[in-house]
Amino acid sequence: MTAFILKRLGFAAITLFAVLTIVFFIVRILPGDPAMAILGDQASEAALKALRVRLGLDVPLYQQYVEFLGGVLVGDWGVSMVSGRPVITEILKVLPATLELTVASLILGAVVGIPIGVWSAVRRNKLPDYVARIGSLLGLSFPAFVSAVLLLMFFSIQLRWFPVISSSQGGGLGEHLRNLALPAINLGLIMAAYITRVARSAMLEVLNQDYVRTAKAKGLAFAVIVWRHCLRNAMIPVVTVVGLYLGILIGNSVLTEIVFNRPGLGKLIVGALNQRDYTMLQGMMVIYTLIVVLVNLITDLTYGLIDPRIKYS
Amino acid sequence: MKLKIGVAVAAMLAAGNALAAGTTLNVGMGSADAGKLDPHVATTTPDKGLLYWMFNGLVRIKPGEASPAFIEPDIAKSWTSSEDGLTWTFELRDDVECHGDYGKLDAEDVVYSLKRSANPDISAFAKDYSAIESIEATGPSQVTIKLSENVPSLLGLLVPYHGGNIVCKDAVEALGEEYQREPIGTGPFMFAEYQPQQYVKLVANPEYFRGEPKIKEIYYRYIPSDASRDLAFQAGEIDMIYGKQEQSWVERISEVPGTKVVVMKPGEMSVIHLNMTMPPLDNVLVRKAVAHAISRDAMVQFKGPDVTLAAISPVPEGHLGYTADVPTYDYDVAKAKELLAEAGYPDGVTIKAIHTTLPGMLTTMEAIQALLREAGINMEIETVEHATFHEQIRKDMSQVVHYAAARFPVADVYLTQFFHSDSIVGTDTAITNFSHCAVADDEIAKARTETDETKQLELWATAQQKIMEEVCAVPVVQSMQLWAWKDTLDLGVEVNGSLNLSPPVTEAASFSE
Repeated sequence: MTAFILKRLGFAAITLFAVLTIVFFIVRILPGDPAMAILGDQASEAALKALRVRLGLDVPLYQQYVEFLGGVLVGDWGVSMVSGRPVITEILKVLPATLELTVASLILGAVVGIPIGVWSAVRRNKLPDYVARIGSLLGLSFPAFVSAVLLLMFFSIQLRWFPVISSSQGGGLGEHLRNLALPAINLGLIMAAYITRVARSAMLEVLNQDYVRTAKAKGLAFAVIVWRHCLRNAMIPVVTVVGLYLGILIGNSVLTEIVFNRPGLGKLIVGALNQRDYTMLQGMMVIYTLIVVLVNLITDLTYGLIDPRIKYS
Repeated sequence: MKLKIGVAVAAMLAAGNALAAGTTLNVGMGSADAGKLDPHVATTTPDKGLLYWMFNGLVRIKPGEASPAFIEPDIAKSWTSSEDGLTWTFELRDDVECHGDYGKLDAEDVVYSLKRSANPDISAFAKDYSAIESIEATGPSQVTIKLSENVPSLLGLLVPYHGGNIVCKDAVEALGEEYQREPIGTGPFMFAEYQPQQYVKLVANPEYFRGEPKIKEIYYRYIPSDASRDLAFQAGEIDMIYGKQEQSWVERISEVPGTKVVVMKPGEMSVIHLNMTMPPLDNVLVRKAVAHAISRDAMVQFKGPDVTLAAISPVPEGHLGYTADVPTYDYDVAKAKELLAEAGYPDGVTIKAIHTTLPGMLTTMEAIQALLREAGINMEIETVEHATFHEQIRKDMSQVVHYAAARFPVADVYLTQFFHSDSIVGTDTAITNFSHCAVADDEIAKARTETDETKQLELWATAQQKIMEEVCAVPVVQSMQLWAWKDTLDLGVEVNGSLNLSPPVTEAASFSE
C-alpha cells in the first residue's frame, strides 16, 4: 500500500513537472501583452517596453523558465503581474471557497444521484425509470450558467430565500450555508445527473448477476439484496465517474462562481486569463494539477475500500 | 413575556437594518476583482472609479461634470500663472488631513506626489507630466510648478484623475509595496478592507476638509456577471450599479421600481480607423466611399438613442477643442459606389479587419459590415480574443481597426494618440495611430504649446478638418457611461459626467430614507 502511494506520488511529481512546463510555454505563446493589461491602452510603446523589462519578460524564455522552476521548488510562486499581490496568498485566500463548493456539490450529487440511479435500475422501463432518465438528461444538457440564472431568478428574486451575491463575509453557520446553497445545488444537480446514469447502468449489470438470482432464490428481501449486496458492487464505476467528473465540476465552478459572485479559483483564473497574468496562471495550474492528481489517488485508494479483493502493488 | 421580548428584538434588528441601509452604500461593479489600487498606477475603469472617492487633486472638476471647463479649487485654494503660462503657483489649504495617522497634508506631500506621477519607473502616466521642468515647495502651503513648454491643460493634469491624485508622502514611504493594496488619500472616503474577489470597503473620513460624509460605509462589490449584477440590484442587495452600454439594459433596469438611470459623459467614441498605407485604403476615394457607406443615424438607432450620440468629428463632442465644422460624409450608397468606380473598383472592394470578440464592440462592427456591403464594400472580419486583438492591431496587422475609447476631454489627447505621426503603430513611439495619419502633425504640435486660447482652438479645428478631409478615420458613435442607482440615494449634485467614469459619491451623498 505504502509502496503504491509512493509510486503514485512519484508519477504525480512527473505529471506536475510536465504540466508546469506546458503551461509556462503556452501562456507565453498566447498572443496578448501583460504590460498593456497593466499600463492600459494609452501607454506608449516605450513605456510598454520598459515595463516588460521590469517584469522580466525581456530575458530569454529558457532563463525565465529556469527561474520559474527554481521558484516553484522553493515555494516562491512570484507575485501577480497585475495586482502585485503574492500569487500563493491570492490562491490560498480563495481556494477554500472553491473546495467547499466542490465538496458540497459532490455530496449533494451523490446523495441525490445514487438513490435515483438505483431506483431507476430496479424499476427499469417503468415510469420512475423514464422520469429519472429524462431528469438526468436534462441535468446533463443544461449549461451551468443557464441553470444558475434560473435558480437565482426563482429562489432569490421571486421567493427571496437566498441572496443573489453569495458572499462569504460575516454571518454564522446558517448564513454561510444559505450563501452556499444555490451554487451547490446548481453544481450538485449536474453531478447528480452524471451519477444517476452511471449508478443506473452499473446497477442493471449487477442485478443480472448469478449471485443476485441465488439471493432471490434463498428468499432474501429485495431491499437487502439491492442495498447490501448489489450496491457495493455497483459502486466501483460510480467512484470512477465521480473521480473523473470532479475535474468537470471544477471547470463548471468557474461559471457558477461568476454567476453567483462567489470568490474562488474560477473567478481568479478568468481574471488572470483576460489580463495575461502569467505568474497567476502558472500558480493556478499548479493547484489544479495537484487537485486532479490527488483526486485520482484518492479514487484509486477508494476502490480498495469498496472491494477488498483489489490489491495494490 | 417571551413573545414581547421576541417582538422587541425583532424591532431592534429591523431598526438596526434600516439604520445600516441609510448609511451604507453597496455598489456593484462589473469586474472580477480589484487591480492595483495605487492611483498613479491604476488604469482600469473599476480601479479608477473606486479611487475617485478616496483622493483629491490640487484642483478638481466640479462633481457631476467631466469637462475641464468646470475646474474649481480642491487642495489648492487659489493659483496664479505667469504670462507665458510656464510658471504656476498654487496656495494650498491648511486643513487637509491624510487618511489614518499620516497627519496633515502639506506642500512637501504635493511635490512628492507630482514628482511620483512624473516618474516613469513608478507611474503609468509619467508621459503626461513630461513637460514639467520642476516642482518645488516654495512655502509650507505653496507649490510652484515650472514647465519647459506650454501644455494644453496643466490644470487638467492636476485634477484627481490618474497622476493628478495627490498621495501622502509618509503613507507611501511607510507602506511601500503595500500601498497598492491599502491606498491612503485625503478624500471623503478611506480604505478599510479588501476581500479578494468580493469587495473593497471604504469608510467615511471624519476629518475630511469639506465635512464628514453622510454615508458611513461603501462596499464596492466586484460582480463580473452582468446578469447577476442586475439581479442583485433588482433584489435590493446593491444600491448603485455599473451598467452595460446597451439600450436594452436601460430599458430593463428602468423597470425596477425606484430606479434612477443616469447617462454620463465622457462618451466612449467608436471610430473606424482606415489604414492609409494598405491598398485599397491608400486611395482617398475608397476611404471616402467607406465614409459615405456608414449611416451614423442607423448606428445610433442600432446602439440605442438613449445611450449613444452620432459622432461627427474625430474628437468627441464636449471635449475642449471640439468642432462640428468639419467635412462630413452623408449616408449615400450611390455616391459610395460612384467613388469606388472612380477609384478603379467598379465591382467593389474587399477590406480586412481584425476584431475583438467582445460582444458590445463586435455587434457594432457587424452592423457596420452590413452597411458597407450595401455599397459593394466587403469587409471580412477576423475575430480574436480581446487581448490578442490589442496586440495584433498594435503590430499593424489590420487594414481596418474599430476602436472605442474614452479619453481626458481635451482635443489634444485624441488628436495626439490617434492622429499624430509619432503615435503610428509599429514604431517606438507608438500609441494608437492605426490609420498612419500624418496630415495634421503641425497643427496638433503647435496647438499643444499655444498660449493664446483662440489660436489654440483654431489649430485644433484645422487639425480635425484635415483629418476628416483625408478620411484617416470614420467617427461613428459615442457611447455614454451608464449607471443606475436607487432613487432614495441623493448624490447632492446633478450628474452629467465623471472623468473617472464612476458617479461622484462625495460628502454630500446621502439616502433620503
